[in-house]
Amino acid sequence: MKQRYTKVIMSLIELSEVSKLYGFGDATTIALDEVSLTINKGEFVAVMGPSGSGKSTLMHMLGLLDRPTHGTYMFNGRLITRMSASRRARLRRDTLGFVFQSSNLIPRLNVLENVALPLAYKGMTQTRRLKQAGAVLEQIGLADREYFLPKQLSGGQTQRVAIARALVNNPDVIIADEPTGNLDSASSLLVMELLSDLHKMGHTILLVTHNPELTRYSTRVVFMRDGLIIADEQTQVGSIPALARKLYFMQHKTFDDDLTGVSALMKALTGDDKKRGPKKIKKSKPKSIKRPGKKRGSK
Amino acid sequence: MFLGSYFKLARAAIWNSKWRSLLTMFGVVIGVASVVTIVSIGEGVKQQVSEQVKQRGDDLITILPGERVKRDDAGRLAGLNPLDNKSSISFSESDYRTVLHIPTANPVVPFGRVVGVAKTASNEYAGAEIIAATEDLLSVLNHNLIYGSFFNDDDPKANSAVIGQRVAESLFGENVPLGKSLMIRDREFIVRGIFDEFNDSSSFVAGADYDNAIFIPYKAGQETMGGTIQIYQILTRPSDPQHIDDTVATLIQALKSARGGQEDFTVLKQDENLRLASNLLDTLTGMISAVAAISLVVGGIGIMNIMLVSVTERTKEIGIRKAVGATNRQILYQFITEATVISLFGGILGVIIALLANFLLRIFTNLYPVITWPIVVAACGVALAVGLFFGVAPALKAARKDPIDALRYE
Repeated sequence: MKQRYTKVIMSLIELSEVSKLYGFGDATTIALDEVSLTINKGEFVAVMGPSGSGKSTLMHMLGLLDRPTHGTYMFNGRLITRMSASRRARLRRDTLGFVFQSSNLIPRLNVLENVALPLAYKGMTQTRRLKQAGAVLEQIGLADREYFLPKQLSGGQTQRVAIARALVNNPDVIIADEPTGNLDSASSLLVMELLSDLHKMGHTILLVTHNPELTRYSTRVVFMRDGLIIADEQTQVGSIPALARKLYFMQHKTFDDDLTGVSALMKALTGDDKKRGPKKIKKSKPKSIKRPGKKRGSK
Repeated sequence: MFLGSYFKLARAAIWNSKWRSLLTMFGVVIGVASVVTIVSIGEGVKQQVSEQVKQRGDDLITILPGERVKRDDAGRLAGLNPLDNKSSISFSESDYRTVLHIPTANPVVPFGRVVGVAKTASNEYAGAEIIAATEDLLSVLNHNLIYGSFFNDDDPKANSAVIGQRVAESLFGENVPLGKSLMIRDREFIVRGIFDEFNDSSSFVAGADYDNAIFIPYKAGQETMGGTIQIYQILTRPSDPQHIDDTVATLIQALKSARGGQEDFTVLKQDENLRLASNLLDTLTGMISAVAAISLVVGGIGIMNIMLVSVTERTKEIGIRKAVGATNRQILYQFITEATVISLFGGILGVIIALLANFLLRIFTNLYPVITWPIVVAACGVALAVGLFFGVAPALKAARKDPIDALRYE
């Protein structure tokens, strides 16, 4: 794996006042509300927040799968907002790796072919891409599972294969959307250790998670609610930020919180621990609904 | 990505649902198989006709009732009308006499149609064509007997018959029924000769299947039919083959004046006869093929239908592929390739089935279908085009899927 340490820290991702709206008129839903976020190369960012807070929309945006309704997005110095679908696809192919909650492997392809999938769209010959995929699987410790089908693997192995696939094109950024959501704690640990190793090797990692425990691997935690970033903390690797810990315990205090969707995060933020409160809270104010300048995304 | 990669993707996807793919391509298989079979039958008949024409000799002149061709002033064919509605009329005795009296045309053989069923004491055979002709038949047909001898115009009893091989088998149940008797319209005929096999699967030029015919003397035929007999064809040769065109012109002139200036007959040289037969065959083959080709369209729609289902089923896969960097165009090509491979494979399978049908037809019928390379290439080309055309809509549907929605699809 090539060296990815750089002396000059340049920002890889720059979102400024990015909004994402769905629907029109009365039915307009604001998935992202003028979010600004800068992520540098080599960061391990954990994004937390309750369901419907816009985490996934943010990830899709950052992962070039979606385009903002308003605002600008610069990725690696390039303006994504006006980029065509096929150019975004090529950029995804060359610089991004995705790991999803459900591993999203193609069931009829074997492990090796699944891992080699991104390379196929580069126009690499089959021999070369299978060789490269084999090398990545070796690195991840799944070399003996090359010819298994996804359904023959355990959940943890499937997720590691998904990571291998995300890794195979040597991407700048790995986006992991709740990669441990379906895993038991032992498998979770393996997957997280793997992501952590990749981070140490210089990959930028964006992790969406519900589990505050996992923020111990991250260098930065972003909290979201209602399409807004309500807190953004730099943290030490190995420590769980107090806010996350708070949230974690709050969440597990009452089961109703989870059920009703009452934001445990808000309780954590407005509770007795005000000194450690968020750096920035943006109040949700009644907004004049802006007409989307352009139709949502491109098909 | 290269074409080969798309092909591999398509192969994997098709192999993954073998049965469905096989059933999907069935429409194209049937369409291609039937078109190729029909065209090959037509081609086979054409080849036989041309062989037959070659065998009869270039200088044979065929005179038919009905205006089946148009000629320009120089006597060349200007238009073909093989299915002239006046072709049901026939020549009379006097027309035959007119031709007979032209000195440059010799020999002249009339083909009179005797309506009736051939019977023996124990059997009867309605399938035989009964033709009244003269002794020059052998020389105009340029064909030999395998057993016995031909009848003679001067034969006083005039009750001889010469039969084709199929009649021998069907009516008498033996190969050499020489000397046996058969009854036509209550008149007894003795079999005196049996023709060598003609191998005419068709009667496009001959007007009848001679293997399945009973030839009786012209006079006997006339008497059997009560004095007048309908002549459906007159064959002749020019006495000097160098002047065949003059002979044809003379024949036309003489017949025209004999029939009151009406040109409701056709005089054909062999090459013209061949052209007429080919034209008729092409028309027939074309019409039947067009009907068969409808099943190709139906097959194409079947492919489109299954591809649309497949695209919906594989929405998640499309989402994954897009997430890992497939462009819309690459997804489009992937699905178009898949539809095309299904269709092309169906076409190849259709050709194989046509070859099989060809083989069976040669064994069990008297047809000799001929499959030529252009037919095979054209059939595969059409199958390819069908796949391309009907694969576009499903492929567009796949390519236009929103990656996020596609990824969420379960």
